[in-house]
Amino acid sequence: MVAYLLGGVFYGLLIGIIPSAGATTGLVALFGFISYFAHEPYMGVIFLMAVVAASTTGDSFTAILLGIPGANSAAATMVDGFPLAQRGRAGYAISAAVTTSTVNGLLWGCLVFLLLPWYTNLIYILGVPELWAFVALAFATVGFLTNQFWFRTVLAIAFGIFVGLVGVNPDNNEARFGAQYWFYLEDGIQIMAVAAGLFAIPELTRGLFLKHSTADGEIREGELWAGMKASWDNRWLALRGGFIGAFIGLLPGLGGQMADWMAYGQAVASNPNEKFGNGNIKGVIGPEGANNAQKATSMITTVIFGIPGAKFAAILMSLFMYLNIELGTPDIAEDTELFKSMTFGFLGATVVVAFICMFLIKPISKLAAVPYKYYFPVLLALIIFTSMQYTGGWEDLAMLAVFSCIGFTMRHYKFSRPAMLIGYILAEKVEGLTLQLTGLYTVETLITRPIFMSLIFCIIGILIYSILRKGRIDYA
Amino acid sequence: MRKLLLPLALMLGFTTPAVADYTMIVPQKPGGGTSQWAQIVATEMEKYLDGEKIVLKHIRGARDIPGFNKFHNKLRFDDKTIMVSNGGNGVAFLQEAVDYNYKDYDSVGLMNLNIITAVYGDHNPNTDRTSFSGGGGKVPEGIAMTLLKCGNLPNTEAYVGCFKEKVNWIKGMKGNERRLAFKRGELNGTRENPASFKKHVQPVIDKGEARLWFHHGILQPDGSHADDPNYPGIQMEVQFNEIHGAMPKGDLADAYKLVKSFRDGLQKALWVNKGNPNRAKLVAALEQVSKNPESIKKIQKKVGKYEWMLGDAGNAQVDTLMKFVTADALKTLVEFNTQAFGLKSVFKPELVK
Repeated sequence: MVAYLLGGVFYGLLIGIIPSAGATTGLVALFGFISYFAHEPYMGVIFLMAVVAASTTGDSFTAILLGIPGANSAAATMVDGFPLAQRGRAGYAISAAVTTSTVNGLLWGCLVFLLLPWYTNLIYILGVPELWAFVALAFATVGFLTNQFWFRTVLAIAFGIFVGLVGVNPDNNEARFGAQYWFYLEDGIQIMAVAAGLFAIPELTRGLFLKHSTADGEIREGELWAGMKASWDNRWLALRGGFIGAFIGLLPGLGGQMADWMAYGQAVASNPNEKFGNGNIKGVIGPEGANNAQKATSMITTVIFGIPGAKFAAILMSLFMYLNIELGTPDIAEDTELFKSMTFGFLGATVVVAFICMFLIKPISKLAAVPYKYYFPVLLALIIFTSMQYTGGWEDLAMLAVFSCIGFTMRHYKFSRPAMLIGYILAEKVEGLTLQLTGLYTVETLITRPIFMSLIFCIIGILIYSILRKGRIDYA
Repeated sequence: MRKLLLPLALMLGFTTPAVADYTMIVPQKPGGGTSQWAQIVATEMEKYLDGEKIVLKHIRGARDIPGFNKFHNKLRFDDKTIMVSNGGNGVAFLQEAVDYNYKDYDSVGLMNLNIITAVYGDHNPNTDRTSFSGGGGKVPEGIAMTLLKCGNLPNTEAYVGCFKEKVNWIKGMKGNERRLAFKRGELNGTRENPASFKKHVQPVIDKGEARLWFHHGILQPDGSHADDPNYPGIQMEVQFNEIHGAMPKGDLADAYKLVKSFRDGLQKALWVNKGNPNRAKLVAALEQVSKNPESIKKIQKKVGKYEWMLGDAGNAQVDTLMKFVTADALKTLVEFNTQAFGLKSVFKPELVK
């Protein structure tokens, strides 16, 4: 058990500190290996949760030391973290980041994972209409709150749903959307190709062209303690960051950078007389409070309803399927072993990675400084290997190539890739729930359901707010 | 090379097809019901194969057909390859353009299962419209409830009309969604295999909120269907007789017998190519598994308490099933599938020859 936890921690930490990699790429690369956990699925759960927790902490290193985030989630940390490192205070910044991230990870991790068995009772309370509305809410939040280009995001969601519906129509068993011409597509387009093409390949390639200057990685005497003390001195700021992260994580489909930037924004707003962007430790503590908390709470909708709270959760959900664990089902409510494994994996890894980061800060800093060109071929090979797990034939490679092109194009033209992934992941659910909703309910019966109607009003509110709102930030 | 690879694989904690003695082809992705069953059976069989290893190879695809087709067209000629099939393959064999044909293989062993249905206590399935989770895998249940609700009717068109009037066939529900919808009371009827029934439906019955409806019976070597000792007294034909004062008859009744037998009679099966020299060894290993209470306990946890049919008994089961294949039954099945359920189906005259 501990070995799997440590395995996940080291893999997650490594993937976290590799520039441009992060949790999503790290999880995508695991599709090729996840079936080896089939005999011990709960060990697989521990490993995966450890990867998620450790990568979140790990990517602070690259953000602070190299001025590039390991993944997008550390981008906000970079703004004040990197200038601190340039002034020779890398240890101070990393220590404050790790302490804040760990405390919030433990706090929100406990609230989420220890209480998950209780939350799962919701699946018996909410019916088909509420689940349908919840999925619609996920699309509304992703489409209208995360991106300044909402029309492009809506198109990305629609395209994701289209891709997710390629295959056989469950209504009549007929192949559709190209599957009638190419038998390979009858079982749908596989997530490995979609996730790797949309995220892993573009981000890995981007890492090759990133220009960065390595800051002074020297860890000076007393800096670690000073960082922890700074975290304590700014505890309310850290907790507010955690609260923002937790709230954003709860909203289906959001996650990602939005929580970090909002937490950074509240750090700036609550200290109007201070300068940010030049190495203010509060600019590190604010967003670092949010990232681990957001990872924890985004697991609630993912586990209970099978509606991913963030893009990493979408990948995680698919990996769990390989372990015979289908999230959002009644089996989950009775699976105490699953809850124990998730709790142990996430909380255990949060603690272990904090100790590793503090005690091994010097070697990890050196690892972060290893030129990216050495990581690139290994990661690329892993991703290609992973993408060929479906048939192992040329078709798998072709799909990877197609979705890599789509990923590059979407990134270039600012179409939201997380929105497309969420659309793809939820496509089957949307179709299934819509068939169920129309088969089981009428308008007259729907308007008598208060939770359903509340969710519908929330969606309408989001649409109105988003269309009227100006000066949005691009979080996608 | 294999000697070098085996310790390496064991050291890494896994086995790959490159170092396995037998490869079990599973026609679905890891995590599926058949995949889980195959993993248990393979692990238990290895105990009686003198150190030889069995590795699962997942060749998945729409409705579990591509993996079985690949076995038929290519893989079966390797004496170390075993095919795992399920009831869905049996139904697809009847009504879809598939390559595989059970007559070309020898059975290692198969499990002859049953499906049980239940309804909510306040729901009268004979008079009320029943909301039931539909889809390709539930064709036998759909036909059975049509027969039960409508009695013997003159033609398929009449049955289709009656079905549409008395059954709310809800599409787009996966197994877990169906279980949830039933527990929440959104569906007033449901169906499960025995193990799943015990886990998900029996507690609702025990609370007094639901009751048993019907099951399909267990296929016997002589072609009849016997009552299920796990759920006695509710076999479809028995209930039909009680409600309508006669036994079900006509083309739809024949189509029902055909499709339920191919699904439940071949619910979980292992095959090798005709004349495979390793068959005797594999059958012997499976026989040992079937006699080992610990092994059987693990398998029954997944599928319920049903017997194995080993070796030639499995081949005989296929012979029995083929006796149900008539042109009229096949045509009616395709017609009802298309018109009542909206499912794509094709008439395969070559099966009748």
